Amino acid sequence: MKWYAYFAWKQLFPTGRKLSFFSAMSIFGVALGVTVLFVVQSVMDGFQHNIRRAIVETQGDVRVESQDVECQGLIHGTDNLVSFLMNFPDVAAVAKYAYGITMLKCGGRTAFPMVKGIDVENEPKVVDLLKFVKHGSLEGLDCGGIALSSDLAVKIGAAVGSRVEIYSPLMVENSIDGDVILPKTLEVTMIFETGHHNTGRNTVFIAIDTLQDFYNIGDGIHGIALKVKPGVPTEKVAFALNQSLRYPLVAASWQEMNRDFLFALRMEKTMMFFVLVFILLISAFSIAGSMLISVIRKTREIGLISAIGGTVIGCSMCFFLQGAIIGIIGSTIGIIFATTVLCFRNVIVYSFAKLCGVEDFMLRFYSFANMPARYGVGDIFSTMAFAITLCCLAAVVPAIKVARINAAEALRSE
Amino acid sequence: MSNFVAELRDVHKSFGNTVVFCDVNFAIAERDTVSICGDSGSGKTTLINVLGLLEPPTSGRVIWESCEVTYTKMSRVARLRSKIFGYIFQQCNLIPELNVVENLMLPKRIAGEAGEADVDFVRQLLRQTQLTKFENRAVSTLSGGERQKVAAIRAMVNRPRVIVADEPTGNLDEKSANLVMDAIVGLCNSCGSALLLITHNKRFAEKMQTSYVLTNMRLRRME
Repeated sequence: MKWYAYFAWKQLFPTGRKLSFFSAMSIFGVALGVTVLFVVQSVMDGFQHNIRRAIVETQGDVRVESQDVECQGLIHGTDNLVSFLMNFPDVAAVAKYAYGITMLKCGGRTAFPMVKGIDVENEPKVVDLLKFVKHGSLEGLDCGGIALSSDLAVKIGAAVGSRVEIYSPLMVENSIDGDVILPKTLEVTMIFETGHHNTGRNTVFIAIDTLQDFYNIGDGIHGIALKVKPGVPTEKVAFALNQSLRYPLVAASWQEMNRDFLFALRMEKTMMFFVLVFILLISAFSIAGSMLISVIRKTREIGLISAIGGTVIGCSMCFFLQGAIIGIIGSTIGIIFATTVLCFRNVIVYSFAKLCGVEDFMLRFYSFANMPARYGVGDIFSTMAFAITLCCLAAVVPAIKVARINAAEALRSE
Repeated sequence: MSNFVAELRDVHKSFGNTVVFCDVNFAIAERDTVSICGDSGSGKTTLINVLGLLEPPTSGRVIWESCEVTYTKMSRVARLRSKIFGYIFQQCNLIPELNVVENLMLPKRIAGEAGEADVDFVRQLLRQTQLTKFENRAVSTLSGGERQKVAAIRAMVNRPRVIVADEPTGNLDEKSANLVMDAIVGLCNSCGSALLLITHNKRFAEKMQTSYVLTNMRLRRME
């Protein structure tokens, strides 16, 4: 071991004492900062991952839609398009869809959900719809059934087997012309739950034929959802499709379709990181302050080391390495704390929630039953590297001060 | 070629307009014992600092083992200094974070030469100065005299050619001062090092082979 590394270690962990007060406080400060930073970033990552997964699982990988405003975005005569997409490289499955706003009535209760007409045979190949079935089955949709989200079912008091009335906006248009169209009565054949607040909460599914008939759009559809083969980037497939498709047809990956939302998620994580970095910065400043005091206190010792053969660089390295050692030990302890906290996060969160009497807040506000968290070895190393770098930077100022000390003056200092 | 270990030739030192000493010619040979006396503030410590190149002379030449080192690179000077000079200061300057034996091994660690043989050598010196029982003690538990003896051993660890003792007994009572001086002289004799003693104590100065006095900015040899 080089003498300056040995000396730096001994300054932090003196012989005869396990830990100096300065070392303990500095290491604890860094550990605390790393713990908070890592826990928050992991939870934010977990939320982000769950939301992204929910989006993919409910929307499909890529969508092909029309931008023709005159046709209200409808695509007619889609057989050739469907077979083209089916045979397109890296496409695993396709499913047509159409959608609109409707009024739903069950007993005396009404709701205004988004109704989505799906290709009952192909939709499960594109979107993992069967995973979300809570009651009933998807097959019933083909026989004039309707699938409700669990939230909506609760809202209007419907269950599997209930009959609901569905009102089309066409009824308003036709009533102006003097025609009277009666609402359609459909039987609830499935109740689903995506597990996410924003996706599918206010949505109902019916068969696409039923929707086309209901909205009087003939064979028109609003788009085709695509499932991409595993491991193939969805943006790449969307880009390749756009090279082949002609206006007004446009392909968009799920990332493009939710660009603003995903950007907001990323920004949220970045902002949290930015705010929490200040904890580490405070630790770094406190380390720099304590080490500067230490430099002044140990001026004579620095002079002595110069007198017995220590070089200026060696003396500076002593102080620089102290910062690095504090960073390494502090960040290691911080990561151990953080992974322990993450391991028991649900116990901690629910204990705290129980104490405050708000046990169901996770489900109510975030639509996740458990607090998500996601981290990998890369996250551990990047957080540690960041903390160690900050601690090393904090030690640079004391190290420079040491380099400027004149040995003879140091030996004369009181 | 002279057999002087360290020499000052026509050395002048001043801080700004204040002249500390001028035209100093001084040399110390192997196994010499030399004392330098002088009033407080006369420049004795500055003189030994210039001799060890802890600070540069304003003019003149510093020569170590017949080689001029006045303008040598500081990192090389630091290496050479640890081989030629061993320092004992009035304040012992022991490192409180290290125990006695770790303090004693520090010069060897800095030289990058710490080995088992050096530990044995340190133990031998501790035996010679009756400090064996303090080997693993914290330096804060030692008395002033014991600390100064430890500082003297530390100066010997690299087997330097010259021991520079800057008022090593200045903080001690007479009994402890005698014991420490005996230890320093004994260690110098056993290691074959020359001794350059800065002192106010005439009795200690007279025991040296050669005595100098630094007064009125000049270094004069006492007959």
